[in-house]
Amino acid sequence: MRPSFFHHLHPPTIPAAQARWRYTLGAGGTAIFLMIILGVTGILEMFYYAPNPQDAALSVQTITYHVPLGWLVRNLHYWSAQLLLIVSAIHLLRVIFTAAYHRPRRFNYLLGLALFVLSILLDFTGYILRWDMDICWPLTTGTNLLKTIPWIGNFLFRVAIGGGEACSTALLRFYTWHIFGLTILVVILGFWHAFRVRRDGGIAVPPARLRADNTRISRNELVRREVLAVLIVGILLLLLSSFFPAPIAPAMTGKPSAVENARAPWFFLWVQQMLTWGDPFIFGVLIPLGVLALLTLIPYIFPKPNEAEIGSWFPKSNRLAQIVVSVIVILVIFLTLLSYAN
Amino acid sequence: MTNLSRRDFLKLARAGFLWLSGALTLGGLIRFLDFEPNPAPKTEFDLGPAANYPLPSRTLLADPPAVLWHTESGFSAMSLACTHLGCTLEDGADGFTCPCHASRFDADGRVTHGPAAQPLSALRIEMTDDNNLILHTD
Ligand code: FES
Repeated sequence: MRPSFFHHLHPPTIPAAQARWRYTLGAGGTAIFLMIILGVTGILEMFYYAPNPQDAALSVQTITYHVPLGWLVRNLHYWSAQLLLIVSAIHLLRVIFTAAYHRPRRFNYLLGLALFVLSILLDFTGYILRWDMDICWPLTTGTNLLKTIPWIGNFLFRVAIGGGEACSTALLRFYTWHIFGLTILVVILGFWHAFRVRRDGGIAVPPARLRADNTRISRNELVRREVLAVLIVGILLLLLSSFFPAPIAPAMTGKPSAVENARAPWFFLWVQQMLTWGDPFIFGVLIPLGVLALLTLIPYIFPKPNEAEIGSWFPKSNRLAQIVVSVIVILVIFLTLLSYAN
Repeated sequence: MTNLSRRDFLKLARAGFLWLSGALTLGGLIRFLDFEPNPAPKTEFDLGPAANYPLPSRTLLADPPAVLWHTESGFSAMSLACTHLGCTLEDGADGFTCPCHASRFDADGRVTHGPAAQPLSALRIEMTDDNNLILHTD
């Protein structure tokens, strides 16, 4: 058989420990599946979506209400995107809580983190493409936040919206970033990330001599488990898409009034909540970037985990990183709930 | 000065050219994206005949979001764009509230509750010869 990328990711046998649900949670594989769904449904949406401020919201309505099965395509795209953020976060936490980020996987940890950030940006740009009443305030505050950055703020603002006023003109730039700029980066980094998993010796487990259980599973067994995960996630997506339609609001005609929905998309609610505390540059830019910087530095600043403990949940030698990340996660969840409560 | 061999020189030149083309590309990309194809936001708004705003009156304008007063001392206007991050303020009994991060301003535009730090800005009103009101936001 000629070697292919599929065979690179599916060697004849792998250690059973690398493919246990209770260890990997299936998160990385699920993320790949969701990205494929996003690619396919996204291309389908492009057949009807009109990326100009006059027609955008109407074309979204056309997809949702007129095109046969358009509602399903749009809802699948929406729910895959939301699930992707959740699944990526779970994947990231699994890697941190099992100390899997250390060399030789350190570089792949950084690739994964970059993919996570890109997914958030893709989710936000995609949300803006609805171009209806609800997106104006998050778009305004988000782009005005750029302006608060010293030195380069105004430049970033111009690059983001291309001049004029955010709610009347930014669409084309957000569209191009969403459809092409960010997507091409995700495709490249995504393939690289998957390639490096095998290159770095597969999913992190203790070295063979330190492993209690050295059984291996075959390629067929691995594929069987992947198909199972795909079926489960697929059914979940279909259920969500059938019973919980993606949000939609009346088309944007001029600036919406003050009472129109001023809530950021759910994954930015924690930032919106912090913004009520004061200086927008500190709470809206510095602190979120600080969180990202901390996550980036985890493999560099925390004590090196003990080799024998790598690849098991909550190793002792990794306590500090676990505590710091847990605190961040709890704070983000708390702020998000607080924002819903207001 | 002769200890730079031909091979090393070529290596250095090659590296130099690669870095240079990278830097030029980046610079070019930045300039390319920095162009503003969209017209600058309007700064002049025709509010129609002044007679539409009798004395005394207080009118909320939607575009641009602002409040227009007509009092004994003439016409005056104040922007209702929040000075925090630009959302439009909601008019209430005791001033203005921002729907985005809950800043509050009193009826004269002073901050009564953060995160906004600056008061609302006064806008210039101009009366044309044929008694039309023009609002300036710059
Ligand atoms: S934009 Fe008004 S409080 Fe933030």
